[in-house]
Amino acid sequence: MGGLTYHLAASCILHPASCILHPRRATLRCVITLKNVTKRYPGADIDVLAGIDLTIEAHDFVSMVGRSGSGKTTLLNLIGGLDTTYDGAIEVDGEDLRSFADFELSELRNRMVGHVFQAYHLLDHLTCRENVSVAALFARGEMRREASWVRRRAEEVLATVGLYGAGRRRPSTLSGGERQRVALARALFHQPAILLCDEPTGNLDVETGREIVELLSDLHRNGDMTIIAATHDEMISAAGARVLRLRDGRFIDPEGGGE
Amino acid sequence: MIGRGWLRAVTADLVRHWRHFAAASVGIILGVAALTFFLALGLNVRELLLVQVFPADHLEVAPRSANIDLFALRLDLGRDVLDAAVLADLASIEGVDAVYPKMRLTVPALASGGDSIFGTGLQTEIVADGIDPKLVADDLGGVFREVDGDRTSTPCSRDEHCGDDSYCDRSRSFSGGMCRPFIPVLVSPYVVELYNGAFRRSYGLPKINPDSLMGLAFEMDFGASTFRPSALPTIRERMRLAGVSDKAIPLGVTLPLGEVRRLNMALDSAAAGERYHSAVIEVRSKQSAPGVVDAIQEMGLEVRDRGARRAALATAIIMVVLALVGGVLIAVAAAHIMHVFYLVVMVRRREIGLLRAVGARRGDIRNLLVAEAAVVGMVAGIIGLATAVAAGAAANAFASSRVPDFPFKPESFFAFSPWLMIAVLTLAVVACVIGALPPAFRAASGDPAEALAGR
Repeated sequence: MGGLTYHLAASCILHPASCILHPRRATLRCVITLKNVTKRYPGADIDVLAGIDLTIEAHDFVSMVGRSGSGKTTLLNLIGGLDTTYDGAIEVDGEDLRSFADFELSELRNRMVGHVFQAYHLLDHLTCRENVSVAALFARGEMRREASWVRRRAEEVLATVGLYGAGRRRPSTLSGGERQRVALARALFHQPAILLCDEPTGNLDVETGREIVELLSDLHRNGDMTIIAATHDEMISAAGARVLRLRDGRFIDPEGGGE
Repeated sequence: MIGRGWLRAVTADLVRHWRHFAAASVGIILGVAALTFFLALGLNVRELLLVQVFPADHLEVAPRSANIDLFALRLDLGRDVLDAAVLADLASIEGVDAVYPKMRLTVPALASGGDSIFGTGLQTEIVADGIDPKLVADDLGGVFREVDGDRTSTPCSRDEHCGDDSYCDRSRSFSGGMCRPFIPVLVSPYVVELYNGAFRRSYGLPKINPDSLMGLAFEMDFGASTFRPSALPTIRERMRLAGVSDKAIPLGVTLPLGEVRRLNMALDSAAAGERYHSAVIEVRSKQSAPGVVDAIQEMGLEVRDRGARRAALATAIIMVVLALVGGVLIAVAAAHIMHVFYLVVMVRRREIGLLRAVGARRGDIRNLLVAEAAVVGMVAGIIGLATAVAAGAAANAFASSRVPDFPFKPESFFAFSPWLMIAVLTLAVVACVIGALPPAFRAASGDPAEALAGR
């Protein structure tokens, strides 16, 4: 991870103002609690999540492992406030997400949660820098920043994921691994308290996947964010994550344990 | 949202889906162009009718005719003149600022001259009337004014001895001439158009520029006629064309009222110098015109310009109908915009999910799409306005070169006023925004997870 360290340092040396101007993150502990969470999609015969109970402590690095259809993505969507139709309760620091109005959930996603999607979901008509800073379009209050700050911050985060100088490029000109890094940079833009990664290495070759895992591991070590990754990839567990195994909408280990 | 970033996002979306939006804009462009074209045409024609042909603040009042046809004759049983008492009654109507009587010359007259313009001397029977010079003072200044035609103060032998406004009249004395003033006359633009249109072709005469006629001098023999021998004495006067005015008699010449009165009294009777065939009423405001018209009609008189009013009304109706066509086009275009935006929203489902995932509120998504629609409406509206203006210029050019001159033919048939442009542009933007609202609400509904999954 020497490369990553170098980039972090380089970005702060090159853009010291941006380091000072990092958005002030809410000082939540971000304990995530799921109580008997059940989810069934409309028209489906079975529950994709069946009575999930789980507690994720602040600054945990959690890897959810399971086959396709086991409910990993659904669980991430519920925790990240992307999906609000479920039974049971999901709490962040004791606050039930159900009590959040839609705009409050939007605020939560904007300030506190970073999503990395398996399909990247990059906007090809925008540059990498614009993709990374897209959340800034919807920032409000003290999170709202000048365009120059947003530009510097985007370049800084791109440097953090090893894409220094790629801000003007279009995602379509990047490799799969680079796109995943851009997606990760976008998730990190507002220094989220919770980083949710859905199959972050799913579309990547082994070597590139390894780099992404190292990047996540490094972010966990050097940052203070909670990282939850849904993956098939055993490399993530090898990187020191707590592993939760899902099968048919339930944790195999009833304690929600890890390794 | 950060302004510049937001603008960039809107622009990027529009550029990315430009084919969709271009297709959607065609209807808006056509609708705006049609609406603007017809409104500008209708408003200008209506203005022309009401301001020039029929000035709403000037009403011409005449005795009400009551004709009965008896074999080859038409008997007029109504009153055919206005006297001083009627004029006083007209002046007392609420909303009337001034009354300007018109007096018709009641004896025949012959006009002759024009060598300098036409290359040959012309002679024609001509009718004349007289108006108060104050009626045209605003348009012509002091060039059309009362003169004393009998005044013979200065002896002379040549015109140069008498100054600009007079000539040396040697016809009334064997010993020498006396300076006499030219009598100013007005002609209607209709006379000029009639000459340039049909008359000159029949007689092989040149086309004339109305401006070159100013100052044209000619003679008139009052009391003389080529139709039938007249027993009247003849008074010869030298006239000078003072201007072209729509307040002049349509076919003939208009003299200062005092001159006509003098000639009528000298050649017809004293009573003929006290009777007026019509009067122009100056109303205080266009708003007070209907009340004045009612009062005039209650006096048993008629307002002569009803035809023009009907024409203006007909023009307004046609304008509204054609504008409705443009409006319907815009409404259909709005429906098309809605369809296109539904399509665009469907295509951008995952992208909208992503925006929601990074913190966009439902209102942000709605605003983004509505802003895109507004930009589409603005751009399409501007293109539509440009199309309308270009079509108007083409129509004007065609009318200028191909349509024969006719009275009151305007230089431009269109009034593209700024407020009209702004109003139509606003309509285009509003139509696009309204069209985009249902898809925008649809896009903003549902959870981000559904959108990201493309559901």
